[in-house]
Amino acid sequence: MKFNTLVYIETNNNTIEKVSKEIIAHARQCFKDNEICGVVVTDEITTILEQFKNAGLDKLFVIQNPLLKKFNVSAYCDVLSQLINDIKPSVFLMGATANGRELAPRIASKLEIGLTADCTDLQLDENSNLLATRPTYGGKMMATIISKTTPNFATVRQGAFKHKQFDVNNTEVCFYTPEMSCLNLFLSQLEVLKTEIKEPKEDWTESEIIVAGGLGLKSKENFGLIYKFSDLIGAKPAASRAAVELGWASHDIQVGQTGKSVAPKLYIALGISGALQHISGINNAQKIVAINTDNNAPIMNIADFAIQSDAVDVLNNLINKLSN
Amino acid sequence: MSFKIIVFIKQVPDTDDIRWTEQNTIQREGLESVINPYDIGAIQLAKKIRLLLEDCKITAVTMGPLQAKAALKEAIAMGCDNGYLLCDKKFAGSDTLATAYVLSQFIKTEANDFDLILSGYQAVDGDTAQTPSSLAQKLNIAQITSVKELIEINKEYSLWQKETPEVTQNIKIYHPALISVNINNAEILPDINGYIKAQTTDITVLSAADIEADITKTGFAGSPTQVKKAFRPEITRATERLSFENNGQISDYIIKLINKCKEQDEV
Repeated sequence: MKFNTLVYIETNNNTIEKVSKEIIAHARQCFKDNEICGVVVTDEITTILEQFKNAGLDKLFVIQNPLLKKFNVSAYCDVLSQLINDIKPSVFLMGATANGRELAPRIASKLEIGLTADCTDLQLDENSNLLATRPTYGGKMMATIISKTTPNFATVRQGAFKHKQFDVNNTEVCFYTPEMSCLNLFLSQLEVLKTEIKEPKEDWTESEIIVAGGLGLKSKENFGLIYKFSDLIGAKPAASRAAVELGWASHDIQVGQTGKSVAPKLYIALGISGALQHISGINNAQKIVAINTDNNAPIMNIADFAIQSDAVDVLNNLINKLSN
Repeated sequence: MSFKIIVFIKQVPDTDDIRWTEQNTIQREGLESVINPYDIGAIQLAKKIRLLLEDCKITAVTMGPLQAKAALKEAIAMGCDNGYLLCDKKFAGSDTLATAYVLSQFIKTEANDFDLILSGYQAVDGDTAQTPSSLAQKLNIAQITSVKELIEINKEYSLWQKETPEVTQNIKIYHPALISVNINNAEILPDINGYIKAQTTDITVLSAADIEADITKTGFAGSPTQVKKAFRPEITRATERLSFENNGQISDYIIKLINKCKEQDEV
């Protein structure tokens, strides 16, 4: 039997969201014997079609309508549900973005199917059923969830998988025209009067080297050494939840289940004990170096290189060396 | 006609207080229960509406075991007018889809004339943020997710400020509608009148039959998703413990790693 996976591809200002590409790459690599399909909802496909080159899709469904230019959860739910009922995928996935987290439950509710949110890992069992793993209890535990209904439906956390380009480029493009008699009703229920797009911050999570500090730095002033050091080596700074809660660093740079997941080539953890919720956010790093005074800290057992020393002393030494 | 607000709340374990059993499951006995912090944000905005509109009534509703009455009493102490507990053995083990179904049956049978539903953006013990959206679909109403502030309201429509990591939006929505509130640090200190009201107000307890719920769609049996396994996250790497004579050597080693990282694909 042939299985197919459908990925909802979210676009933002005519750009495909990174998480959508990450999901396609993971499905392509891990979901054997599955046809990997995408669906995009847009007012005009020609401007974005180029971006689907080498994305790894076997088939792309396009739902194109000028009324669907802006995201409207009721309208998007309606058209996507129709497509799912028609093509009956075995797995349906979307990114756990702000819009995805709003849209997915609505579709699940309409189709009366199960939904697993914010997954950090997805695998198929021997019968092609989805095993969806997600953090729970604030990252203190992981749960693997299965669903009795089809399609098996999950949203995926940004950064959980790595984006990859594929050599093959023979994506079949299919236009899908849903029934849209309810569209005007949906659009009249709600009106966006003003939108302020927040200053797009540079995506520090993409950095090849990340330097992260935790409680072991002992003060906000010492945490400043993290910025100084990362600046000197062209890396990006990050912080543990404890450091953020103490006000030493902004939540924007928090790593872990309630912060960001990262996958740098090198993760340097300075004075971080490595609570479970932190460790699960750095799982995909290529190499982890931990510097901690406590040899029994959890991070010293999971890092590739564990060095027992005082993080502040090492930072000062590094900064001295690099400044000269 | 009074303006009717339904606030859905959830009693959650205090996640700062989690202890583990030897089997790596969460120790539930002796775990403190609190009202989900985001739901207190929803109560706060509901109270704001009641200040702005004449003749407005706030009803707190939760699904849960009999102990969840305590959460409703607390909600009344914080300013809600009355409380309903949806309580039935057939509800136990409901996932978000089954929960949304139960809540939608409450609305359809007991509160079909509501104007607004407010709820927390997510619950801290599951943080999936699914139930509000799922419920809005079951009721076929519009929704705004992740609202931070009420800007303006009259009986016909309201204006809200929505905030996500990417955008801030002002959105006008016509009633009836559902608003999910993304405020997790609201603090409502009940006063003496609140406590008296909580003590003297009876919580209405409703069963599956009372809300005409089809029990094949509720509880563990009616939930499509199931936890196959739960485990503590683990990473296993071949850890090398390195020792050096001084911090200078440590620095040299780290600088070497950094340079290797910049020059090669693999560290």
